[in-house]
Amino acid sequence: MNWEPIVLTVKLAGLTAVILMVVGMPIAYWLTYSRWRWKFLAESVVALPLVLPPTVLGFYVLVAIGPKSPLGQWYQAVVGSPLVFTFEGLVFASVLYSLPFAVQPFTAAFGAVDQRLVEASWTLGVSRLATFFRVTLPLSVAGVVTGVVLSFAHTMGEFGVVLMVGGNIQGVTRTVSIDIYDEVQALNYAGAAQTALVLLIFSFLILSVVYAVNRRLWAVWPMK
Amino acid sequence: MADEMTAEFEKRYDGGPSVSVALRLPVERPHVMVLFGPSGSGKTTVLRCLAGLERPSRGRISFAGETWFDAEAVVHVPPQSRSIGYLFQDYALFPHLTVARNITYALKGAGGSERDAHVQGMLRLLHLQGLEDRRPAQLSGGQQQRVALARVLARRPRLLLLDEPLSALDAPTREQVCGELRALLESQGIPAICVTHDWVEALALADEVAVMAGGRVLQVGAPDAVFSRPADAEVAAIVGVETVVMGQVVERNDDLAALEVGGVRLWAVEPSGRGEEFYLCIRAEDVTLEIGTRPTSSARNHLGGRVTDIRPAGPVSRVTVECGFALSALVTRQSAQDLGLGPGVPVTATVKASAVHLIPR
Repeated sequence: MNWEPIVLTVKLAGLTAVILMVVGMPIAYWLTYSRWRWKFLAESVVALPLVLPPTVLGFYVLVAIGPKSPLGQWYQAVVGSPLVFTFEGLVFASVLYSLPFAVQPFTAAFGAVDQRLVEASWTLGVSRLATFFRVTLPLSVAGVVTGVVLSFAHTMGEFGVVLMVGGNIQGVTRTVSIDIYDEVQALNYAGAAQTALVLLIFSFLILSVVYAVNRRLWAVWPMK
Repeated sequence: MADEMTAEFEKRYDGGPSVSVALRLPVERPHVMVLFGPSGSGKTTVLRCLAGLERPSRGRISFAGETWFDAEAVVHVPPQSRSIGYLFQDYALFPHLTVARNITYALKGAGGSERDAHVQGMLRLLHLQGLEDRRPAQLSGGQQQRVALARVLARRPRLLLLDEPLSALDAPTREQVCGELRALLESQGIPAICVTHDWVEALALADEVAVMAGGRVLQVGAPDAVFSRPADAEVAAIVGVETVVMGQVVERNDDLAALEVGGVRLWAVEPSGRGEEFYLCIRAEDVTLEIGTRPTSSARNHLGGRVTDIRPAGPVSRVTVECGFALSALVTRQSAQDLGLGPGVPVTATVKASAVHLIPR
């Protein structure tokens, strides 16, 4: 059994989930409360990875972080190494790819918090930011856990984006799903079966946690 | 003026109604203004604009010399900085916090022991001892209302805004809490604006009543003035009671109390035996008029007086009788003719003691 891809994938998924928790909450907060008339455009952009083929997303990310793009050049200038075909590049792509899996449950949870509780906090002299941490967030725990766990699980299973952006470098960008694909290509069905089973059991456990926390069906897009 | 709040603003909704008011409230002493009107009249919108939760479309709001809102100068002080207490209709208690944590929610900086003492004081004031560790969901409606009041009062607001403070309670609790609320507002010495559509609540709480309908303030005045002398037919239709006068208890007899009003005595069924001052409310349809000497009947109150005004109101006539105070009566047009009612005619007005509704002050 080859554990290297599994460890690498868990590392990638964990990092992606943590980043998405930090980045996703402000986005979700804005999507919940903004009255901007073009907000639906932002909602569409966030939801895009749900419907876009991973290869398409991967292709654009590849171009965007490539050595000829402004982002790639800036990264190379600051860090000293290219972003493309590295673990960091993979994290960047994964964050984009799993964005809706974090932002949508966050948005649903924030939207479900009674606005009067938030207003009550404001009239009691508590700032908007403190109100978020003392009222909105504690009442949205289930949704936040759902979002973090789902983005983790979704990153665990990504394939197309990794193939496009990360290549297939052992110990750097070879994740579980690519490892399985390689094993099958090499007609090593026993190896593929072992890794696949690990991934299956793992995914099942993750989803069980989500449903145990939520006790209700998770809708793909919040009803609002 | 430094010692009053003035609000003169309009809030327009896109394609919807607009709410436009001009109000003044003294802020240096306890004073309760009740915004009274049917639902949809814009009462809550006024409250939310005063709290800073809504931004008026134009106008000004100033409090004791501070500008809270000025559309032209683009001033909008956020609710956090207005130092107000806003009591929500459904109380908006934080469901994830205990009673004690709800009450201390707004208290920052105070030391641990000081804060504890403050919480204990609040719990005592509002009869909540022993409930510190409960969650809001484990409280009755009346208890929730008191926790919400404690949370609001704990930070000593300069102005209280109460949105239908009693409407979420069942009728017996409401009557009890109403009296407590009045006493509390007086003892805390904080000016308050209270929204209600219930005239019993309005009379029980108000020092001043502003009648609202369709987004406008129709009349502002002392409660008895507004309720018994509505400025026009619209206000009269909204307030619905015809005679409201202040009276003092001068005698008690079993469940009955005799109250002196304008030099005459009226017997009434006393609600729960507390208080010496009451508003007496009499509906015009409960008053019977007779010509001549004092008749005998099971009714307790026979008041001699003279008709001062008579005007038709649909199939009936509304008669005003001066009998120490102005009393409204409804009689059919036929009776008015048969009795020969007209200004100056001496009559006896009869009111059953059970038709005199007492509201404690």
